[in-house]
Amino acid sequence: MTTVTRAAPTLLTSPGARLVGKRLLMAVPIVIGVSIVTFWVLNLIPGSAAQQLLGPEATPAQIQALEARLGLDRPAPVRYLAWLGGAVTGDLGTSLVSGQPVAGLLGERLAVSGELVMLAFVISLGLALPVALLAAHRPGRLFDRVSMLVSITGLSVANYVLALLLVLVFAVELALFPAIGFVPLTESVGGNLQGMALPAAAIAFPLFCFYTRFLRGDLVDQLQGEDYIVTARAKGIGPWQVLLRHAFRNSAFGLITVVGLNLGTLIGATVIIEQIFALPGIGQLMLQAINTRDFVVVQACVVLFAVVAVVANLLADLLYAVLDPRIRYGSR
Amino acid sequence: MTGLVGEFATPVAAGEVAEPLLEVTDLRVRFRTRGTVVHAVNGLSYRVHAGRMLAVIGESGSGKSVGSRALMGLLPETAQVSGSARFAGTELIGMPERELRARRGADIAMVFQDPTRSLNPTMRIGAQVAEAVRAHSSLNRRAALDKAVELLGLVRLPAPERRAVEYPHQLSGGMRQRVMIAIALAARPRLLVADEATTALDVTTQAQIMELLVDLQERFGMAVVLISHDLGLAASYAQDVLVMYAGRAVEYAPAQVLFADVRMPYTRALLGAVPQLEREPHSLLPVVPGQPPDLARLPAGCPFRPRCTAADDACGEAPPFTEHEPGHWWACWHADGGEEAR
Repeated sequence: MTTVTRAAPTLLTSPGARLVGKRLLMAVPIVIGVSIVTFWVLNLIPGSAAQQLLGPEATPAQIQALEARLGLDRPAPVRYLAWLGGAVTGDLGTSLVSGQPVAGLLGERLAVSGELVMLAFVISLGLALPVALLAAHRPGRLFDRVSMLVSITGLSVANYVLALLLVLVFAVELALFPAIGFVPLTESVGGNLQGMALPAAAIAFPLFCFYTRFLRGDLVDQLQGEDYIVTARAKGIGPWQVLLRHAFRNSAFGLITVVGLNLGTLIGATVIIEQIFALPGIGQLMLQAINTRDFVVVQACVVLFAVVAVVANLLADLLYAVLDPRIRYGSR
Repeated sequence: MTGLVGEFATPVAAGEVAEPLLEVTDLRVRFRTRGTVVHAVNGLSYRVHAGRMLAVIGESGSGKSVGSRALMGLLPETAQVSGSARFAGTELIGMPERELRARRGADIAMVFQDPTRSLNPTMRIGAQVAEAVRAHSSLNRRAALDKAVELLGLVRLPAPERRAVEYPHQLSGGMRQRVMIAIALAARPRLLVADEATTALDVTTQAQIMELLVDLQERFGMAVVLISHDLGLAASYAQDVLVMYAGRAVEYAPAQVLFADVRMPYTRALLGAVPQLEREPHSLLPVVPGQPPDLARLPAGCPFRPRCTAADDACGEAPPFTEHEPGHWWACWHADGGEEAR
């Protein structure tokens, strides 16, 4: 949020930067809104961090004393404003449970979740593009039918069910990948990727199926319904050129929207998957924090998710502008 | 359609070979979708001579566009095409896709009705023309772009260098249609099919585009098939006119002959429906009564029978499309005027 005010005046000349600035400014109320709702909902959850820390044996007096020390006795709006004041200056507070700075906790874990999301994203899109193009090249043929069957199957399976199946087959039966555990990238790249393979696959597969179906359908619609496709074919160019230069360029817009929306929710998928594979990511951190009523940490996680969703959608919009000349010129 | 075996006695300009550039014989196109079969083209026959303009006239759904797209294999996969279409002696119907592709744009090029939807919105004008250039030449990207700018100049697009780097939405309708024509001309085709190419344009722009087409036709010695529902356009620009109804030819003659001596009741009805300035103000526009037939359930006999004022029992049998007078063909048992046709 602070970057806007710094970046805007110097780059105001370029329409691209103005678009970014405008969208980032619009993101501010969204993120604040999310943080207010989160704060409010967390306050409705019975129990407090003090209670959790002291255990079931604690007397009300002890709990009250600890709450006072942690600042939990102040009214909610005061606490929220205090939190917001810190957050704006980059101070997300300290964990009620461990006493560590939240920013540091998030940083470590963000690397793990970020890697997981990026892997899933690259795998799903990297496979979906060629599969959808091949399927749309000859609709109704064997490849198309098989890929549609696979993608329907994939769409009907929840990723946590798939995760368990993957563990059963590739970790327990074939022993190709570890079932749980995490090796930092700095320690061993191979070991890291091996540990990330199954969780990334569990997240990537349903996405791959979704992207494939979506893109294939859009491509076929373009090929069968659009006049510019007939023009392209009437020029005498080959079918792949028609598909890639004409249909795909126009189908890309729909795909980018879907991917942009997905990228935001993708980080939510990590919550469950990290739990299954015991990965020390944001999702795991957030679940632990909820259980210990470590609201400061939960709040930070949720706001982080919101920021990621907003940024992903902004990136999708920017990609639009790069690909679709009508948007670029229209924004002036 | 046995009557077609006879020679066309179309007047041919001096020095031209009598051999037609395109000879379509008994062309049939059916679309099969979920049990119903739509008979879009039903035994269409016509000839196009080099350097001449043939106007193909008919109502919406008369098979004009489908018939022309069938020549170049540009119909969806649900279409079943049969019959014959010989281009400079080579049979096009049933030609393998790869060979057909080499001929698209190079032998027969097309300009379509809606220039807004017919250009790729995400590609620069120059790139779209250059793509057509490169499809039939070994020019590199740079040279093809130069050629594209040259073509854009040829179709009299103002400031072609600047327009080449713009996108379709930055151009007016008339300019877009000029771009479509530049694309069509990229490989110097011998036949240009203009499929309702001026229908989406205003009258002034329409005249400009037609002048351009006629100009380019003379310059390159192209043959042009002008597909339209506009008889006025046919009368003003075309040398030959073919009238279609329900997927078949019903009357064909050189333009002067046809408009001087209409024989087929459908053509007459069409002519009667052309709005005229001399007509009484606020009087109802005459229209052809009734609806064109459902192409999924074509009646036996003459397809125009239900709407025809001259129809009688003889019309239960489909009249053959025959050359009744030198150069003048029609399909009707009750052709008015001239001596009795049969």
